[in-house]
Amino acid sequence: MDRRDALKNMLAFIPLGGAFAGITAMGFRFITPKKRDVTRRIFTMHLDELPINASRQITDLRGKDLVLVRTGEREVKAMSTVCTHLGCTVYWQKDNQEFYCPCHAGRFDKDGNVVAGPPPRPLETYHTEIEDDNVFIYFKDAEG
Amino acid sequence: MGLGAWLKQSFPVDQDALIELTAEPIPNHLKRWWWALGGTPLYMFTVQVITGIMLVFYYVPDTDKAYDSIAYITYTADYGWLIRSIHRWSSNIMIASLILHMMRVFFTKSYKAPRDINWMFGVVLFLLSVIFGFTGYSLVYEQMSYWAMQVGTGIAGATPFVGEWIADFMRGGSEIGQNTLTRFYIFHIVLLPILLVMAVGIHVYLIRAHGVTELKFKGDEDVEKKTFPLWPDHVFTELIMVSIIMVLLLVLSILFPVQLGDPANPNVTPLHIKPEWYFFAVFRWLKITNLLVGVMGPMVFIGILFFWPFIDKFFDKVFPGKEVGFWIGVLGLLTINGFTVWEIFGH
Repeated sequence: MDRRDALKNMLAFIPLGGAFAGITAMGFRFITPKKRDVTRRIFTMHLDELPINASRQITDLRGKDLVLVRTGEREVKAMSTVCTHLGCTVYWQKDNQEFYCPCHAGRFDKDGNVVAGPPPRPLETYHTEIEDDNVFIYFKDAEG
Repeated sequence: MGLGAWLKQSFPVDQDALIELTAEPIPNHLKRWWWALGGTPLYMFTVQVITGIMLVFYYVPDTDKAYDSIAYITYTADYGWLIRSIHRWSSNIMIASLILHMMRVFFTKSYKAPRDINWMFGVVLFLLSVIFGFTGYSLVYEQMSYWAMQVGTGIAGATPFVGEWIADFMRGGSEIGQNTLTRFYIFHIVLLPILLVMAVGIHVYLIRAHGVTELKFKGDEDVEKKTFPLWPDHVFTELIMVSIIMVLLLVLSILFPVQLGDPANPNVTPLHIKPEWYFFAVFRWLKITNLLVGVMGPMVFIGILFFWPFIDKFFDKVFPGKEVGFWIGVLGLLTINGFTVWEIFGH
């Protein structure tokens, strides 16, 4: 078989190659986790349970802790306790009035702003809503 | 037909090829064991394959059962504590000997052409071994495992452009959970072993193809014979090394058996958290830099290490006779050691 014939014969395999590429792409898609972006509105607590300036730790639907802080008569802030650096959990340090991350020593103030260390942005906050003295939070459920 | 003749016919082995294969000339410096550390990681890997298969008999890759299965191995199964300790200690010795072997190759400039590509395979082997360690201790599903997975996938996730995809792929979703454990289990017992065996095969093939670099020492000029045969001389040197390392491995495993920490708790990062010793330098680096620099720093370091033969060649061309590569190596080593010591004693 000369080179020309060999090339001609190879052409016959192009559809097979295409099919193989397609199956490879499907396989690639299969091992890539599916994601959906659903925003949920979750009831957390009654306003009476949270005095002004007090905070409460609750667990969201994904099992992660978050903190609710009542900052005004009808104002509640919801903050994640997950460090924005690499995802460890922060501790509230009463003496310093700071959140402290034990992994890479990041520090946040009581509003979640970065005070020291490597975290690139403030602690994540959740949109909150008060309806009939019930506190609701909205969070994105990105789990597949 | 006699048994011998039948065997020769059905299982033909070329005697001449066998003799040639085992008579590889080995340079004289390999008579000293500290120059012959390249085989140690391979022996340790073999130990890990054997003990790893044994551990899989009991390990359950389920977030609700993984920790309990390790507890069963450690406290209930006969000699489970020993098998698990040997598995863990051999991984530590493997990485330590890899580091020493790489330092030897680096400072003797044995990575120079034509061995440049083999150096690159060596760097790949080192990376695979470190990933082996990382995925391995993640499977225990204790606190350190969980938060190592969290930080490890977080680092991958912070890589520009492709980070999110890589992190999601590693985790099997947006969060650490069952998908993550399953994936790490597959990486640890299927994908990484296949990749490592392939890379070791190429590494060893290239060593045989190029021959071991001949190092010259003072006094060697008078020695007439510059090499000695692989079989039986070098094989015996290696056998002595294997014996000593196996004894060391057993002593370490018996005197310092691997412990089990608290089970993974996704809501509480332990106040005092440290990774394995070979990640100390990176861990400290992440504390003192912003996220992008923190993540890109180690990647740039690995990149430099990977392409080092060509970078060094460039330095030799631009600054002939100045040994720039050597001093960069010293600086790099001091930095890594400095960061490691800082992490051991610092907060």
